[in-house]
Amino acid sequence: MTQDERTAQDAAARLDARLGELPLELAPGRDLWPGIAARIDERAQPVASTARRATWPWQAAAAVVLVAGSSLLTASLLDRGVLMQQSAVPAVPASADAAPDAAVAIPAAFGPAGQLDPEYVAARGQLTQVLNQRIAALPTSARAKLEFNLGELRRAADEINAALAEQPGDPLLEELLLKTYQDELAVLSNIGQLTNSLANAPVNSPANMPASPTGERMQL
Amino acid sequence: MAHAGEVVDELQRVREAAEERRLVTSAADGSSVAFEQLYRRHSARIHALCLRMTGNVATAEDCTQEAFVQAWRNLPRFETRSAFGTWLHRIAVNAVLQQARRRGESLGAGDSVEREVADVLADHATVDPGRSRDLETAIAGLPPGARHVLVLVGIYGHSHEEASQLLGIAVGTCKAQLHRARALLSARLGEREWNHDAG
Repeated sequence: MTQDERTAQDAAARLDARLGELPLELAPGRDLWPGIAARIDERAQPVASTARRATWPWQAAAAVVLVAGSSLLTASLLDRGVLMQQSAVPAVPASADAAPDAAVAIPAAFGPAGQLDPEYVAARGQLTQVLNQRIAALPTSARAKLEFNLGELRRAADEINAALAEQPGDPLLEELLLKTYQDELAVLSNIGQLTNSLANAPVNSPANMPASPTGERMQL
Repeated sequence: MAHAGEVVDELQRVREAAEERRLVTSAADGSSVAFEQLYRRHSARIHALCLRMTGNVATAEDCTQEAFVQAWRNLPRFETRSAFGTWLHRIAVNAVLQQARRRGESLGAGDSVEREVADVLADHATVDPGRSRDLETAIAGLPPGARHVLVLVGIYGHSHEEASQLLGIAVGTCKAQLHRARALLSARLGEREWNHDAG
């Protein structure tokens, strides 16, 4: 070791020693509890509360799904050239229990998913119910591909949710989860495209393509 | 053979750990009274972390509040495999990073802000407040990336692996940022001070 290296090493050791002497605790200059109490009193129970400050992406996603669902339903009606009959209109599930087939939808289990806007959950369920009926009409190979893609997304969402259990609020994980839901939306939209292609009717023209949660037009 | 004092200390630690588990369970069940006690126990450590990471008094208070609100909302999913304090620490780091991202700006800019943070921290120094003030001022003046790594690794004792995971950066980047932070601190504090320390 050269003299310069030894000097640098000594300086680093002295710096580390001084850093180690710094206090690890410092009470805030004012009591922050009243502000915290005001925010947590929004809901008495902490379970899966809707974090108003943190849910904007999910509210945006809810809007996206509503747009997508609306587009697909409209396309469906135009394809058939008939007015939608009352029985063909899937009701918005009143609760998560009423959500349709989980083979398509990604379960919203934890973290930001636990903070998903109820509108999003309901709208996604409604869209999924419509598309489930359409999937049945798909060729086996196309159906297998879609189910595989959705299965992969479901696994990814599970893993991200598990990681979020350990690190709530992790911005990277939240971004990944949002991206996973965007991907789910893309797959669901693909189902709409495929089924409409089979019926030789164009759907999802640029005008009615769903906007992404960031406001951009999605390229499928 | 353990001394009586060590046994008493150990018993006290066990008792406090049990009390904390009880508070966490009660808070997870919706008791804001229990959660306030958890706040009283941990707020000083979380606030000091936020203050050093943000280099800004007002932002540190916001991040501290946000960390506890996030903790409250996620308590039902907290698994007691890790200590509550460790879990809260991670939430606080995330709160700081999210705050910085929302603002889209470097935190802690400006000499007056650095001095304010350094004064607040130095007032609580247990060893030589004057020297601590110089050091805290220098830390507050570091670029955010270097400061975050220095605070987590150099002050709070995280490994590079832990810090890189918390900050969402590569381990190599973490090491490079620590090296940079040390070099900048040395330059700010001056080699003469180091030599004086050595003597």
